[in-house]
Amino acid sequence: MKLSKRKKRGGVDVDMTPMIDVVFLLLVFFMTISQISEIKKEKLDLPELQGTQDQLPSSITVNVDEKGQIVVAQGPVSINQLVNLMQKELVKVDQDPRRLRIVLRADEKAKCQTVNQVVNQLSQLEIKKIRIAVRVP
Amino acid sequence: MIERIVSKRELSANGKNMKLSSVKVNRQSKIDLQITPMIDVVFLLLIFFMVNLRVVQAERELDPAIKPKQSGGSSQLDFEPVIVEIVEGASGQYIYRLGASDYVAAELKTKLVNFPDKSNAFVKVSDGAPFGMAATAIQHCKSANFQSVSYVPGGEK
Repeated sequence: MKLSKRKKRGGVDVDMTPMIDVVFLLLVFFMTISQISEIKKEKLDLPELQGTQDQLPSSITVNVDEKGQIVVAQGPVSINQLVNLMQKELVKVDQDPRRLRIVLRADEKAKCQTVNQVVNQLSQLEIKKIRIAVRVP
Repeated sequence: MIERIVSKRELSANGKNMKLSSVKVNRQSKIDLQITPMIDVVFLLLIFFMVNLRVVQAERELDPAIKPKQSGGSSQLDFEPVIVEIVEGASGQYIYRLGASDYVAAELKTKLVNFPDKSNAFVKVSDGAPFGMAATAIQHCKSANFQSVSYVPGGEK
């Protein structure tokens, strides 16, 4: 005769170790691919091309949006203001245009009128090369 | 011989504390590690990084030279350069013009790859042309291994 009822408790042992391993892996993954410093880049539809070289640090990044508006770090600028900015950058590199790295990020749907104006101004400042940003397909 | 059982109390009263039995108490020291808060913190960190994740599209660059329109393209060159013009066609769409023939992007690429002389290429871009076409022309010239590729602003409209 059973005087006391003793319930059999079916214990389920959950092994937490693999779960913790997976969670740590995910954490390391997201930590490595995320960038804490905010990259401020103008949202443009760049031409989808392979490019010839990886992106390098630039002195000035000139953005041209679909409507032909020129935007630099300070905000929208006119072509004359852009020329003033270029001249200030040239002073920083001892008036050596070869040391000035200019990246042009233009929307693929933008008309080349603004781009041509920018390029003409660059050539007047004796700048012989320009880097055109493209997005990798 | 009378055996007298000495109680522990008597012994302690006498100042003697004698162990009557030598039972070693095995105390297994257990360290319980609470991993629940650690998992909570790890999950929080994971959610933080997942929420702050920004997918940044990879960008590369094309590096053409710049040739002002006035200098043209054929003054001091030994070989006749390739001049790719982006002009408005009869239908109102912009097309690539190489010599006397008009091409679309894929045809231009094939033509440039098969071009015998790959010293210099100039991409003349009219003001109304879409920038994507100009970039594509420069890319095709670079891919066709032209030694020098130049962007010439303000070509024929």
